[in-house]
Amino acid sequence: MLKILDFFNYARSRSPWIVHFCSGCCSLEMLAAMGPRYDWERYGYVMTPTPRQADIIFITGLVSKKILPALLRTYEQMPEPRYVVAIGACAFDGGPYNDSPSVIKNMTEILPADVFVAGCPPKPEAIVAGLEELKEKIKRGEPSASSQGGLWKQMKF
Amino acid sequence: MREKLKEIIGRYDVEYIEDYRSWVKAKLKNKEDLLPLIKELKKAGVKSCSTVSPTDFIDENRIEVNYFLENLNPTKSSKEEEKVNVWLKVDLDRDLQNCEIDSITPIMPSANYHELEAYSTFGVKFRGHPNLRYFLISRDYYGKFPFRKDFDFKEHEKNLIENINAITDEFLEEFEEHEKTIGHEGSRTVLHWGPTHPASGPIRLKVFTNGEIIEKVEPDIGYVWRALENLVERKDFIGAIVAVERICFMDNPNPMICYSEAVEEIAGKEITPFAKYMRVILGETGRIASHLISMGSFFGTMGLQTFLMWCLDVREYFLDVLEDYSGARIATSCIEPGGVRYPLPDPEAWFNEIDKAIKKWEKVKPDIEDIFLKNPLMTKRAKNTGVFTLEDVEEYFLAGPVARASGAKIDVRIDEPYAGYADLEMDYVTCENGDARDRLYIIVKEVDQSIGLIKQAIEKIREGIEKGEMNPSKDHLIKMPKKLPAGESVRRIEWARGEILMHLVTQDKATSPYRLKIKTPSVNHTMMLENLLPGHTLSDIPLLYGSMHICQGDLDR
Amino acid sequence: MSVGSMLFYIFVFPGLLFLLLWTFFVFYFARKTLAYLHKRVGPHYNGPAGSLQTVWDIFKLLTKESITPKSADPYLFNIIPIITPIIAALPVILIPWTPLINDGRAILDTEYGVLGLVVLIGVEPFLLFLTGFGSNNKYSFLGGMRILAQMLSMEAPFFLAALSPALLFGTMNLYEIMQNSTWLTSLILLPGAIIYIIAMLGILEQPPFNIPDAEQEIVYGFYTEYAGTNYTLLKFAEFTEILVVSAAAVVLFFGGYRGLFFDSFWWLFLKVALIALIIVAIRASNPRLRLDQMLKFCWSWLTPLAVLNLVWIIFARLYLLGA
Repeated sequence: MLKILDFFNYARSRSPWIVHFCSGCCSLEMLAAMGPRYDWERYGYVMTPTPRQADIIFITGLVSKKILPALLRTYEQMPEPRYVVAIGACAFDGGPYNDSPSVIKNMTEILPADVFVAGCPPKPEAIVAGLEELKEKIKRGEPSASSQGGLWKQMKF
Repeated sequence: MREKLKEIIGRYDVEYIEDYRSWVKAKLKNKEDLLPLIKELKKAGVKSCSTVSPTDFIDENRIEVNYFLENLNPTKSSKEEEKVNVWLKVDLDRDLQNCEIDSITPIMPSANYHELEAYSTFGVKFRGHPNLRYFLISRDYYGKFPFRKDFDFKEHEKNLIENINAITDEFLEEFEEHEKTIGHEGSRTVLHWGPTHPASGPIRLKVFTNGEIIEKVEPDIGYVWRALENLVERKDFIGAIVAVERICFMDNPNPMICYSEAVEEIAGKEITPFAKYMRVILGETGRIASHLISMGSFFGTMGLQTFLMWCLDVREYFLDVLEDYSGARIATSCIEPGGVRYPLPDPEAWFNEIDKAIKKWEKVKPDIEDIFLKNPLMTKRAKNTGVFTLEDVEEYFLAGPVARASGAKIDVRIDEPYAGYADLEMDYVTCENGDARDRLYIIVKEVDQSIGLIKQAIEKIREGIEKGEMNPSKDHLIKMPKKLPAGESVRRIEWARGEILMHLVTQDKATSPYRLKIKTPSVNHTMMLENLLPGHTLSDIPLLYGSMHICQGDLDR
Repeated sequence: MSVGSMLFYIFVFPGLLFLLLWTFFVFYFARKTLAYLHKRVGPHYNGPAGSLQTVWDIFKLLTKESITPKSADPYLFNIIPIITPIIAALPVILIPWTPLINDGRAILDTEYGVLGLVVLIGVEPFLLFLTGFGSNNKYSFLGGMRILAQMLSMEAPFFLAALSPALLFGTMNLYEIMQNSTWLTSLILLPGAIIYIIAMLGILEQPPFNIPDAEQEIVYGFYTEYAGTNYTLLKFAEFTEILVVSAAAVVLFFGGYRGLFFDSFWWLFLKVALIALIIVAIRASNPRLRLDQMLKFCWSWLTPLAVLNLVWIIFARLYLLGA
């Protein structure tokens, strides 16, 4: 039984599909990571048009207050097991927009991320490296950080 | 032209009229004079409102509203006839009841969103605006006017969860309202194109459709609102670069040029010729990088990813150029007040890198032309779709490639040269029809133009070094004063997507900007969608939206 | 027919296992070819040259949560993904796959082969419409409506083109059509084949006619709400349909499994793969059409041409083949 579960965990780690959701500038580097030079499809990453078929959601840099409900709703629409990858400084503490009145500063407190990729914006190599780390986590069968807690459960969306 | 405009403005009660670069700057004493004056100005040829920018002078208890009215004159080149713009100022009371002025939207439709923005952020009420509502800001700021100097956002931040819930409530209320008004009978419905939509990016178009036919479109923006204009007020003059460059990462260097020139003007400094040409090279590289994405996503909106991939392939080489110089691919921060940030110890090595990128583009170009630009299915879809006439350009102030696709001779690089453009040879690139396909073609033409400009600038730098006039390892930056005097300046630049206007206000011994208004082209282009989309089918939304080259980053700021 | 061979037909060839292998192959093939045309690499690290990528994808999808949205009709939403692959897989019994089975005939060798084929292919879109209807999502529903409009119009030229070999050879039996075909008949049938392939792109929702699941317009059309197993089943149905329709094209127009020097399944497979390559190449170089443009193209060009093609076939049968 354990072996079978391990096999499925392995399969899951090998085909992470990512929902198409962009809320900030870092999505531009995601585009580059999709492009010919970095081509993350080599590792099996694919963008899906709807959250229903996705495994991973990206917090692409800044999250403004207005888009947060949409982000959480998209996250909620994804089927279990689902993982969150935060990229860019903004996703950690607001980054360059730390003083801004309209950007969420504690995004990873609201929706805890499994992997955090640093940079402003992180280079495509870094994004792919971060995803590779997430693969290890999925392979070990660990539950995602966002399912453990986070402020998002108290919010209405 | 200048004398004529001065004469018109002089008929009214004004504090002063003066010449300022390409502007005629005047301050009205009575706010009642504004509407008749603007009517006359429109007759005289100043037909477009660039932006409406209030400045909050809390110590003097007044809000000064600046109107930037531009004379686009799209049929004439600025070499034949100077394009003189008008900059009007009006003082208003600061308290919320009396902070009122007549709306100019009925006369100049291009002011529409700018007035809404001024109302939402400063609380300036515009009498007679067709649909005055809160706009851009999120629900929790309704009625609080966050850009006023006395707004305490730290206090506001404490109730994060309540604020978010308020935003959600707004969506739910809107949903209920649509359920009531439209219901489930018949073929009418509301589709939300964005912000989770695969092709939209963070913007929401409320599309009222009847089957596949669009009846009405209401853009809902503010999903990437970072309040940059407010943010720079808390940074110093160099630190503000970080905020300014983040208007949109697709074309990153150009907004920094605009801001830097505005600061330099207040400081009264002139940068070195070397820095000027470096700004040209960096700016044009940024423009090409941006255009390559625009081009690719034009086809991406019709479900064809190949072209996007090919463009991204070329774009990487242009990003290499930026990375080589500044160490970052897209967040370069490479231009700052006083010149450009880094010296260029080995110019030839960097020029080689540029050469490589240009060669890559020239190698791909014939294939692109054969396979994609002449594609019959693309022609079928994009030709004669979404046509803009020259009147539209003036009426709604379409800028940049979108205007030039209609044949408008508008280009700030020629009309009001900045950086090193005055010494470079260039002409307007235009297309004729102004349909969606021409908005693709113009971009391809502009990439070629930019490459030409880069080559010229490189030549100039090489000549300068040979003659010993330029020293690439020392000339890049001049010393800027720590504190700036009181003053204000307006700068325009030609950004990849159109004209950026920055209005910088400083106070005496300032270490940070007092007010920075950033006018970006995507606001007007989004405004245009309301008029453009009705009557088309659902399939045309992504195509027309993509053909306007809208970037949400500069739409919301 | 013995029970053993029946089980073999159902579960191994040309049944479940074969169709699964085909799905794995075509998914991988399409992604790799498309990536090559994109100047990318495509799946590379999972398995030799990325060949196991689809396997992992499918096993992952099977273990994902299968969501039934609150607003959807639970019965319709969940039953259609089970019916659709079955309907899509049914036509395989009508197609002669290989000389090794049943003396080279189809498993169900009937006089009404062509008729059965087009009817079974024609039923599919209505099921896909029901997925969009059952999802009760605006985008899914729009996708469903679009698929109906597209199918109703595209099936006319499709049927007419599929009819042309039957008219030429005077039989609807697929085996006989295949056996009678020669280089000359293939040449005569070429206009019909081109119309068939264009209409096929419409039936299979491939670019430039991928209007019902247009990502940029209506998210993912009727697939929008489907997750996990249901999505896998629908995708499986889609790829099975691609196989069936293109194998039908090969049998009807290009001589099925007959080839140079020897007759074998691999000839048929090669021809199907070539058609798949054409589909991918069109996908990589052409943008999507608008719904009204597609309808106009279909009714004012493709259908009249398909009718003219029939006239040409009858002329050829009377005067060229001298029947």
